[in-house]
Amino acid sequence: MHIPDGILPLPVTLGGYAVSITICWLCIRSINNRQDPRADVPKAALLTSAFFVASLIHIPIPPTSAHLVLNGLLGALLGVFAFPAILIGLFLQAVMFGHGGLTTLGVNGMILGLPALAAAGVFHCRSRGIMGPPSPKRTTVFGFLAGFSGIVLSVLLFALILLTSLPAHLSAAAERSAILALGLAHMPLAVMEGLLTGLLAGFLLRVQPAILEGV
Amino acid sequence: MIAHSATDSPAAPFVHRWDPRMKLIGLLLLAFTFSFVTNPRVLPVMIALTLVVVAVSRYPLNLLLRRLRYPSLVILGLIALLPFISGFTPLVEWGGLTITREGLQAAILVATRFFCIVTLAAVLLGTTPLLRTITAMQALGLPSIMADMTLLVIRYLEVLSADLRRMRIAMRLRGHAEQRRPWRNLPTLAWLTGSLILRGYERSQGVYNAMRLRGYGHAPIRQSEFTANRKDLLALAGICALSGILIWLELAL
Repeated sequence: MHIPDGILPLPVTLGGYAVSITICWLCIRSINNRQDPRADVPKAALLTSAFFVASLIHIPIPPTSAHLVLNGLLGALLGVFAFPAILIGLFLQAVMFGHGGLTTLGVNGMILGLPALAAAGVFHCRSRGIMGPPSPKRTTVFGFLAGFSGIVLSVLLFALILLTSLPAHLSAAAERSAILALGLAHMPLAVMEGLLTGLLAGFLLRVQPAILEGV
Repeated sequence: MIAHSATDSPAAPFVHRWDPRMKLIGLLLLAFTFSFVTNPRVLPVMIALTLVVVAVSRYPLNLLLRRLRYPSLVILGLIALLPFISGFTPLVEWGGLTITREGLQAAILVATRFFCIVTLAAVLLGTTPLLRTITAMQALGLPSIMADMTLLVIRYLEVLSADLRRMRIAMRLRGHAEQRRPWRNLPTLAWLTGSLILRGYERSQGVYNAMRLRGYGHAPIRQSEFTANRKDLLALAGICALSGILIWLELAL
């Protein structure tokens, strides 16, 4: 779900940078309003490293396999640090491995970062209002919802941005078919990642519940 | 990993010694100008400009080819599909498949822009060590929280990758075998990922304490380590002029 350099026209790439920089600025401002803004930097950075490395793990989805995206879980665990963390991860992937791109960094940040923030909202609903302290079952269910929604929203954003910005005419019917095909192709990944995130949230609740409170 | 060919030696080509701040600005300016180009007649100029940068930098060709060997699957898929699924003027019809002129032009445009931007990025970023590039980004206004996070992420990528390798070996030594039904592997994969995240989380407290003991957050603000001389500024001015010419050609041709 990385859009490489060269596909998107200038207004879209610049627009992507404008949106991503604004969201990142809001996140950094929220971090800077904390009593000691630097205290959580190592925690966020090491978790980002762990997510970066964990994204190299492949889940077998016959007849192929897919690597983990983990933006839902990243949002759930890192909160406001999630968006800057995703931008850092995308920059390093572009520079170190050639995945994604430099001009599309802003757009790719939106594609993975906005769903991560949405997933954070979904996951933290598990302990809000009348629900009381989160039980293992509820944590697993909300973990599934966070992981699943993270992928589904990312695929939708990816398809919408890619298909509406191609430098060639596509008929409305072809666009609809392509979005449907992309969505259906990613559905097994979304379900698998949702299940894995749910199981992982349950595991973390058992062994280190503090980590689920966010950074 | 990025194919680095960075050297600070005075005998090294100028691109290697160019002020990283100017280099970053120049790279972004050229990359965004390339993504502005849609006129097929400007594409040869773009390719020529890219090849000149490669030649001037004397970046090792084998490193560059290694970097370009695995272009994104999205690009390959798009280039293969665009001539068939987009456009409306038939160019070639064969066995029920139609290649359109607009689709073919779009595929050539996407492929050229991709090749030029990725090549420039590989050469200009590959001739400066990554940590120095990040320091340059900080000097250009990257918030310190993001710069610190980036440096720590790079520092611990190798450590956590080694942890993952060890955990996988341990899993296999304990008899783990992949199940045929993918969902049966999920609990194991979840615990493996969870253990990796836990290792990062637990290590972070020690890292923070060590950083505090070394004065993290209380060190005096350092002056920027970069100084741009006349040559650096002239090179950036040259890039600006070339970008201006490309934009003019795009609009005039």
